[in-house]
Amino acid sequence: MMTLLTNTHGLMHALSGAALAVSDEAGHAAGHASGPVAQTFAAGPMFGLLVVALPLLACILCGLCAMGRVKTKLPAFLTVLCLAGSFLVTLALYLQHHGQPAGTAWIIQGFEWIRLDYRQMVDSVVQSRSFIANFGLYVDSLTCLWMLFVTGLATLIALYASEYMSHDVGQGYNRFFAAFSLFVFSMACLVMADNLVLLYLGWEGVGLCSYLLIGYFYKKPSAVAAAKKAFILNRIGDLGLALGIMLCYVHFGSVEYKVIFEKCAPYMASLAAGQLDQIPLIAQFIPLCLMIGAFGKSAQLPLYVWLPDAMEGPTPVSALIHAATMVTAGVFLIARTYPLFLMSEYALPIVAWVGALTALLAATIGMAQFDIKRIMAYSTVSQLGYMFAGLAVLTSVGGAAHVFTHAFFKAMLFLACGAVMHGFAGQLDLRKLSGVGSMPGWRVVGIAMLVGCLNLAGFPIITAGFWSKDMILGEAFANSQMQAIGWILLLTAGLTAYYTFRVYFRVFVGPKHYEPGDEHHGDDHGHDHGHGHADGHDEGHQTSGKHGFHPHAPGWAINTVLATLAVAAFVIVPLVALNHGGWVKDMVGASSAQFNEKAAYLIAAKGDLHTKFFGFDAHKAMMVVSSIVGLIGIAVAFVLHYQGRTTAATSKADALLPAFGPIAKWAQNKWYVDEFYNAIVRMPLLALAQIFHWFDKLVIDGLVDFFGWTPRGLGGSLRPAQSGEMHTYAVGMAGGLAVMAVVVIVVLM
Amino acid sequence: MAIGDMMMMGSGLMGSVLAQAAPPAAMSDVHLAHYLFVACVMFVIGLIGFLTRRNLIIMFLCTDLMFQAAGVALIAFSRYHLNHTGETFTIVLITVAAAEAAMALALVVLLFRKKESLDAEEWTELKG
Amino acid sequence: MNLFLNPFVLYSLVALGAVGVSLALPRRGVNPQVLGGIIAGTAAGLVILMLGVRAVGDGAGLVNPFFYVFGIAAIASGLRMVTHPKPVYAALYFTLTILATAGLFLILASEFMAFALVIVYAGAILITYLFVIMLASQSGKESAEEGLAAYDTESREPVISTVACFVLLAALLTLTFRGVKEMGPGANIAQSAAVIDRLPGKAERALIDAGVIASGDKVEVFSGKSQVANVRKADGTVVEVSAASAGSKWPKSLEVENVEGLGFTLLKDHPGIIEIAGVVLLMAMLGAVVLSRKQVQFDEDQKVAQSRRLREETARL
Repeated sequence: MMTLLTNTHGLMHALSGAALAVSDEAGHAAGHASGPVAQTFAAGPMFGLLVVALPLLACILCGLCAMGRVKTKLPAFLTVLCLAGSFLVTLALYLQHHGQPAGTAWIIQGFEWIRLDYRQMVDSVVQSRSFIANFGLYVDSLTCLWMLFVTGLATLIALYASEYMSHDVGQGYNRFFAAFSLFVFSMACLVMADNLVLLYLGWEGVGLCSYLLIGYFYKKPSAVAAAKKAFILNRIGDLGLALGIMLCYVHFGSVEYKVIFEKCAPYMASLAAGQLDQIPLIAQFIPLCLMIGAFGKSAQLPLYVWLPDAMEGPTPVSALIHAATMVTAGVFLIARTYPLFLMSEYALPIVAWVGALTALLAATIGMAQFDIKRIMAYSTVSQLGYMFAGLAVLTSVGGAAHVFTHAFFKAMLFLACGAVMHGFAGQLDLRKLSGVGSMPGWRVVGIAMLVGCLNLAGFPIITAGFWSKDMILGEAFANSQMQAIGWILLLTAGLTAYYTFRVYFRVFVGPKHYEPGDEHHGDDHGHDHGHGHADGHDEGHQTSGKHGFHPHAPGWAINTVLATLAVAAFVIVPLVALNHGGWVKDMVGASSAQFNEKAAYLIAAKGDLHTKFFGFDAHKAMMVVSSIVGLIGIAVAFVLHYQGRTTAATSKADALLPAFGPIAKWAQNKWYVDEFYNAIVRMPLLALAQIFHWFDKLVIDGLVDFFGWTPRGLGGSLRPAQSGEMHTYAVGMAGGLAVMAVVVIVVLM
Repeated sequence: MAIGDMMMMGSGLMGSVLAQAAPPAAMSDVHLAHYLFVACVMFVIGLIGFLTRRNLIIMFLCTDLMFQAAGVALIAFSRYHLNHTGETFTIVLITVAAAEAAMALALVVLLFRKKESLDAEEWTELKG
Repeated sequence: MNLFLNPFVLYSLVALGAVGVSLALPRRGVNPQVLGGIIAGTAAGLVILMLGVRAVGDGAGLVNPFFYVFGIAAIASGLRMVTHPKPVYAALYFTLTILATAGLFLILASEFMAFALVIVYAGAILITYLFVIMLASQSGKESAEEGLAAYDTESREPVISTVACFVLLAALLTLTFRGVKEMGPGANIAQSAAVIDRLPGKAERALIDAGVIASGDKVEVFSGKSQVANVRKADGTVVEVSAASAGSKWPKSLEVENVEGLGFTLLKDHPGIIEIAGVVLLMAMLGAVVLSRKQVQFDEDQKVAQSRRLREETARL
């Protein structure tokens, strides 16, 4: 109770500070003006290990359920229970950690995991060294922030999935929840690791679970292909991460954050003194390697193509893994190793450009898609680009805040789309659905969708998405080096608002119309639809369905989760809005992702972090400008897709398409990026593989066959000599002996 | 003592049956060649017989003829070198010949029981 | 090449022998066995004759004349053994070969081996052969060629085999007729003489027979080289007796006999041979017993019946 009060006090403090901050003229710099908080390390409470252990327990229990062929919802129950427990433990951990002085990083020692002692020759002196990677947790405020929304959302989505996956009870249900729990465990390892190797374990673990869950409908070829695509593209990124970790060990002699951050301190001092050349080149390479890993996992250019395909997995998976948590692992990695990224002159600008271009590209593709889940997927890619850009334009607070808000509203959007998909037999085409929000039983879904869309579109003031996006935009424009980034992001914001509300106006409002998807017949792969199940919540079924089809309105679990998320989306507004980042700023600012202002100036290299936006303070101007851009986007969507629309299939936008010429078609075809990759990577590899295949078949196999056939042919030609008659052999022997004797004599004499 | 007298006619016999024989004397190469010629011819005749005759029993007799040829050569060398090593090996030779004869005849009996024939060409199971 | 015979003559005679032997081998139809035998015998005889001439020419003197008897007998009976179509006769000719070989052994001063050969070969092995021949051929007919099986009357590829074998013979004779001078004799005489020193009992008997020492005296040490013996008298005194002190009564020579020498060498230098020979003979005996045992064949029904009977008896017990 006391700790809860303390927390309330903290929130109140943030709220009361807001008024001051708004009136503060220099408030735009609040994200970093307070200066770095010194990091201190201490041993943490052991119960923190439960955060990691409980999902693992859930995974094991689900595995036991699978072994016992449980045909009930027991695994879902267990998973929700364990994940909720994990969330509560995280909350307790957070509250206890909150009571510590700012900048405290707890290290909770689990057990000794990897320890390699060896001797190494260093400058002709043999030194004993050891490679240590413990199963230890590193708990600072950044960890708390991430784990709170990871475990919280995971709990809610598990609850949602318990209903969503109900048709698979007894089939893949156990498998689904086992992988789900394993994912949360891996994510917890990734986020809470106190060293890069454990992070790598979690990183690979989430990749594995992602693979397993994308390929959940393993009888469906497209799902299998998507799973493989995700896995293989992530391998490319993971190679970069692995190289980065190796470089870290080579350079810092440790993979533990504590040691790395301590050894970074002198570099930070050099940075502050403006002596970038004092930092060894090898250290400057580390962020470049780590960045590749982050791009792979967080679906950034050029490795983003797996994420839209990953929507083949069940929707809860898309919501949790491919929208809210796993894909933010790249953002987390950069935030966690922010000091390393500050050490390189090029790392953050590269991240900024990659992020901004990804954001724009994905938004343009998203505008032209018709599959609402895919639109959400591209939106995720786009928003991840935002987050990267945010980190890179030196507002780690903004990046983290956007992760935080995005996790809520994007999960909600996905879950709402999933509810639609669930109810309309897999129908996701926005041309075939209309007015869903006003159908009976779909009200909660409609409202949740609206809240999510408002957040994503950045509707001014009342949405959390607006505040987090604004932080990034403002900081981009405030940075004289990042003006171009700012403009790209601003354009993206407008496009985002448009395509978001395009979905909303097409699907959730307007004339009522639906065509069911094709997943109620030819049900050979057991896809996620649920009619025909007497699961007690079919009051929402519409009677006027075509072909006798009844939409399947969501039940209590889905509605509860959506409602909770919708409320949460508003509850978190003050956490990011007040005091220029509010609670999130406190959390991030006291962690390793804290921002070193002097270093930033240096990185901005002769640049200015207080650039004016057409004579106005960039942050304040952005609030207005981004609001206007967002509203314009919404308005355009309203005019084109809602006003006067009478059918589901057509809208006024169709008439505008010819004006864009081929561009619309290109965008619809995702700018042919997949085809491009196919041509420059896959085809040459395939050709090479063919060459090797034939080389193997002709040369290698030919050689082997040759060695096989030679004795065979020889034997075949000599076989007649083996008549089996003793005399023949004896004559041969005697003749041979005679010849040998003659030869020996002739040679000797 | 006829044999003894007969032996006395040889030149320089070592240790005749009579202790009072002439002292051992070397045997010339040409004399050795006489015995070796007989040994070689016997061996080759045995070999020819082995190769050409088809009766299993005669084939084994031919191998015994070859054994005899080897024995003659060994004894001749033993005499030539004035030691007993060659004779020692002749003992081995007789042993092996006896063993071979026993085994071979057992085989012949076995084979004859199966095919009622002593023709070696009946048996072609070694065919490759 | 320095052979005892002119190589050209030698090889011609070998070729002649080949022709003779190939003619002498049994075959169907025209069968010039007698002619072949004569040709082959002529060739062999010429070689032996020329060797004798060479021996006389070298000053070594003619070889022991019994060599001509036994050597030619061995070759001739060997050839007849190979060419005779009837196994029984072949075995008998082989007996003759063995007897001739034993004669050769005798003139080579190897009495023990000669007698062993006659006893073991002619006495034991050949009898076994004859038994098997009787057992296997079962041709009671006295008539010559007609009663014989085809495999007895017809030899297999006589020309090729003969050519191959006579090439081998030519090679062997080329080596043989070069002489073995580099291996020269004599090195072992001392060793042979030393054997007598290890057999004081033999010296004792010879000295007693010659009357040099009294019956009952013991020769303790004897040196064949210096012809000196240490003798322990009956009263226990030890005296040295030598050729010089004994004078004409001293035996002319104290030589080791063949059997003694062979036995001594066998046990001293090659003791393993006796063991190995014993084992070989034992194994051959076991092998012969196992191989020639009559196999009793049960068919499946009999086996089933047998096992059922066994089961019933077991159950009754």
